[in-house]
Amino acid sequence: MLRFIGRRLLQMIPILLVVAVIIFTLMELVPGDPVRIMLGDFATEAQVEEERERLGLNRPFLERFWEFIKGAVQLDFGVSYITKTSVSDELIERFPRTLKLALLSICVSALFGIPIGILCAIKANKLPDRIALVLTLLCNSMPSFWLALLLVLLFSVNLNWLPSGGIGGAQYYVLPVISSSIGSIAGIARQTRASMLEVIRADYITTAKSKGLSQKAVILKHALGNALIPIITVIGGQFSFLMGGTTIVESVYSFPGLGLYIISGINNRDYPIVRGGVLYIAFTFSFIMLLIDIIYAFVDPRIRSQYSGKKKKKSKEAEAAA
Amino acid sequence: MSKTETKKVKKTAASYKPGSLRYIWYKLRHTPTAVIGMCFVVTLFILSFASPYFLIDERSGQPMWQYIDMRNMNALPSAEHLFGCDEIGRDILARVLYGARYTMSIGIFSTTVSLLFGMLLGSIAGYFGGHVDNFIMRCLDVFQAFPGILLAITISATLGPGFEKIIISLGISGIPGYARMMRANILSIRGSEYAEAALSINCPTSRIIAKHIIPNAMSPLIVQTAMGIAASGLMASSLSFLGFGVQAPTPEWGSMLASARNFIRNYPHLCLFPGIFIMLTVISYNLIGDTVRDALDPKLKD
Amino acid sequence: MAGNSENLLSIRDLKVEYSSGGKIINAVNGVTLDLPKGGALGLVGETGAGKTTIAKAILQILPDHATRSVTGEIFFEDRDLLKTPEEELQKIRGGDISMVFQDPMTALNPIMTVGDQIAEGIHLHQNKTKTEARQEAIRMLETVGISADRVDEYPYQFSGGMKQRVVIAIALACAPQLLIADEPTTALDVTIQAQVLDLIRNLKESQDTSLILITHDLGVVAEICDHVAVIYAGEVVERGTLEEIFDHPTHPYTVGLFGAIPELHKKVDRLSPIAGLPPDPTDLPQGCYFAPRCPRATKACAEKHPSVKHLGGTHYALCDQI
Repeated sequence: MLRFIGRRLLQMIPILLVVAVIIFTLMELVPGDPVRIMLGDFATEAQVEEERERLGLNRPFLERFWEFIKGAVQLDFGVSYITKTSVSDELIERFPRTLKLALLSICVSALFGIPIGILCAIKANKLPDRIALVLTLLCNSMPSFWLALLLVLLFSVNLNWLPSGGIGGAQYYVLPVISSSIGSIAGIARQTRASMLEVIRADYITTAKSKGLSQKAVILKHALGNALIPIITVIGGQFSFLMGGTTIVESVYSFPGLGLYIISGINNRDYPIVRGGVLYIAFTFSFIMLLIDIIYAFVDPRIRSQYSGKKKKKSKEAEAAA
Repeated sequence: MSKTETKKVKKTAASYKPGSLRYIWYKLRHTPTAVIGMCFVVTLFILSFASPYFLIDERSGQPMWQYIDMRNMNALPSAEHLFGCDEIGRDILARVLYGARYTMSIGIFSTTVSLLFGMLLGSIAGYFGGHVDNFIMRCLDVFQAFPGILLAITISATLGPGFEKIIISLGISGIPGYARMMRANILSIRGSEYAEAALSINCPTSRIIAKHIIPNAMSPLIVQTAMGIAASGLMASSLSFLGFGVQAPTPEWGSMLASARNFIRNYPHLCLFPGIFIMLTVISYNLIGDTVRDALDPKLKD
Repeated sequence: MAGNSENLLSIRDLKVEYSSGGKIINAVNGVTLDLPKGGALGLVGETGAGKTTIAKAILQILPDHATRSVTGEIFFEDRDLLKTPEEELQKIRGGDISMVFQDPMTALNPIMTVGDQIAEGIHLHQNKTKTEARQEAIRMLETVGISADRVDEYPYQFSGGMKQRVVIAIALACAPQLLIADEPTTALDVTIQAQVLDLIRNLKESQDTSLILITHDLGVVAEICDHVAVIYAGEVVERGTLEEIFDHPTHPYTVGLFGAIPELHKKVDRLSPIAGLPPDPTDLPQGCYFAPRCPRATKACAEKHPSVKHLGGTHYALCDQI
């Protein structure tokens, strides 16, 4: 198991390196000159040239890339073109907020989504299930930024209960978390329902019933455990969606997190911000995916044995299938 | 003669091969929710292209979706303007209808791009195996280290704004999922007993690929595609909302919401209608997608 | 007659209907059976004849989503199981009646250790602590011929025959009065089949358990059972003691079954299979269900449903032509 984790952590290094190459190259190709944006339309050609020289933008591509990689390894992503502040400091300040937002959202999603899905499966095709299906369809189809706007309208503008944006205490997290988890709740509930329905028909559930277990024990102890693998896969997918989705929700609520930072970086052609932010997200993301694989192993002894065993290939197949 | 005869035979679900395209089509026509979804999508599509010809401002002769009338700034819904007017006095109903073409078609086109390239890469990886497979899969790993929407944002920032560019960026960011699925399907079918059985009766390879591998590998992909259209439509409007992709003054629903949000405190109706239409469209695609999934994957149904 | 103290189990006019895809499936159509205390009853019939449904109806573990109605009476000792509330049924299941399932590959929960799966029932029914239940589970494993050190292994680490032993251990863990074995050997290799049958027979004798053995193998019935019921299209077409059925098969279907078995000591050029297929349970014929395949069927057979004939002793047959 430890060897598996170690190997996966090692595999992350080349992936992050390639991510760095891609993001650096993509940003080079973005149309628009950062210096022009920075200095405004009235800057003279000489001023622009001077600023470019100062920022090192005139040096060759490879030289600048090497600088970037050297810094990135030490978690130093340089200085923002616009604000002249250290990108790393800003990232360290903002990253925990986004992570908190994403983690809170995924917890809320799982805490609501899984029980709703189980209830639907138990009451399959009866009224509560039908109602829940319609609701999940609605939630699944609602754009998160629109929901965010509606929530602002209701809770901030009309009721004045919660702040419409910014950062501060717990109340600043309520609306962003709701906006980003509604869709995930629906997704997780649907997957839970589907995989519970599949598992409930399995022979070992009949065995469990024939032992005299109560319905509750059969569902929670025998069915849920076996239904979890696809549910965890969906939760992983939703987490990825949330990590990206924070860019949207953060921008509606002017929530000073990583997502908003990256968007502003892209808009201002402030490349150090984009490079640093994207690498942070890619790292977190790969790390979460590794966590998900480890959770698989805790849930399913067969996967556990593949990780610890000699069959290295198998775990990759399982990933691919998942 | 033959016409009357075909009419006599009442087609039922049983008369189609389960999983075939005709069977899916039969299911789509006979599932009420899917019919509602399809009707909504088709009607809105037609209205989107037809409305500029009949929703015309009488005085200026300009199509209403782009006619600016400052007297109607932020006008509330009325008999004249059913959905009201936006911040520079354009009719919201006309704009919403005109804008339908973007959100609706971006979903379809970008999913097609993802599907085609995903299938190609997945088949190459699954079929050749070895180093080719390894190389392709590691590349996909890199792309999957980004959350999908962030990848789409980055690519569309690079490509710049525009309808085709947003299709490309959403399309690219969807490729890894389809490619992985295609590869996994091909691997599992290649090792399956029915593929071996076909080989054992001297079935030619081309026939095995055409008759066994492709149809069996396709059905999970079709399900994924059907569900993916809704998701990428949603993503497209999110991108426009953030200012990437289709941009103002084009009345794309996402970008309409982006400009409307500045007026949310005083004129909330500006935010209402584009959002409702995004939702209705995505619901329609989801209803169609659910039916396709049920038709191809009966074990998920009750 | 019902609740007769000599009979551990008596079933009267049991009917089970399933619904699937809008169609009604008549799985069991008026079954009447008796099982004396300590007896071993063989339920014989083709695949799809409704044998498993009868077994699951006794335990009340029919699949919820598909079962449309269950009528009739199932007396276990003095109680009608169909009228017993769910909580008491849970005490009976696994405690007084337990079941061995057809396919050991799928009958065990893949993510629980075999020890836990055996101990679960013991803990539930015998007021034992978890540690005691575990000790008992280890003892059960040894009883079925699996060494104690495999108690913490998972089902995927066992072969098919070993899994079936575990399933039997689960079923017998609480020393039930009645064991229902549903084709316990069908999914196993021929060499393992004999071992598993011996195991069931020995345990039945040592624990004084009554047995219902579901099979399509008349040889197995002859070896283990003392009573036989032949099931066809959800009906008992003939029942009686082993001798009554084997020495004087009366119903044309039973006669046909015996004709389809190869016998070593007789030289027969061809086996005589029963022509045709069992009727479609969604669309049963009006008269005798066997009439379309019956060599002795008359016009009347196709029109009128036959009645039960008493042939002396405990020997009954459902046929108008005898």
